[in-house]
Amino acid sequence: MEYGSIEREIFIDAAPELVFDVVSDPAHVKRWWPDDAEYDVVPGATGRIVFGDCAHGGVTEQLTIVDVRPPRSFSYRWTYPAAEPAAEDNSLLVTFDLAPQGAGTLLRMTESGFRERGWSAAVMEQCYNEHVTGWDFFLPRLESYASTLRPEVKAGS
Amino acid sequence: MTVDDDLWSAIGDPTRRRMLDLLLADGGGTATTLCRHLPVTRQGVAKHLIVLERAGLVRATPAGREKRYRVDDAQLARAVAQLSSVGAVWDARLQRIKRIAEAVQREQTDPSGEPG
Repeated sequence: MEYGSIEREIFIDAAPELVFDVVSDPAHVKRWWPDDAEYDVVPGATGRIVFGDCAHGGVTEQLTIVDVRPPRSFSYRWTYPAAEPAAEDNSLLVTFDLAPQGAGTLLRMTESGFRERGWSAAVMEQCYNEHVTGWDFFLPRLESYASTLRPEVKAGS
Repeated sequence: MTVDDDLWSAIGDPTRRRMLDLLLADGGGTATTLCRHLPVTRQGVAKHLIVLERAGLVRATPAGREKRYRVDDAQLARAVAQLSSVGAVWDARLQRIKRIAEAVQREQTDPSGEPG
């Protein structure tokens, strides 16, 4: 196995098109990861994600969209220095691959680049992770979020 | 595996993590060069280096009267991958993705349906 990466797979009982929106659309992304997310879902686009209570005060991270192929694949790079463009040796690459399975979707996530970035990146990840680990934080928000959803709600509208 | 215990206790200490960062940034170093950047004596740094070496995270080569240390990339990558928090939090994120997507799917399939 490749020790410098993390791979996960999960079955989701929802159509690939819908899962693709949830993993890529900033309006959805900020419900499951950072506190805020601003970017265009276009290859090469750069944007930012904001973590509200990491360490002392908020932290903003850049993010560069790498690949957008709805409803099959979405990838981006993050945790690179603010003054540099995202590259293989200065960032973590997160890739979502979606495959239809019955009426649902098999979602595979890979985060790689730990070998190239080394320890600092892992510490950074851990820092962001700590405030979103618990269901305690999320569950109360989920119920109210789900109840506000309407089928016609789309990105950027 | 005892190796993993050594690994975890080696990287559990903030001074040793800072030392790994310094060694990575400079491509290597000795106890003398490291202690210039740390609030620890040279002897203290030397002790930490022994712990890191025992865990396989650094490799030593003789450099005059001192030893020069470099980070072992493979072992570091292994330690990083073992950071359960990184993997576990992706598990939590994916669970959230699942809940959100399935909630939207239910909403679209049956807009009037209230789950409870």
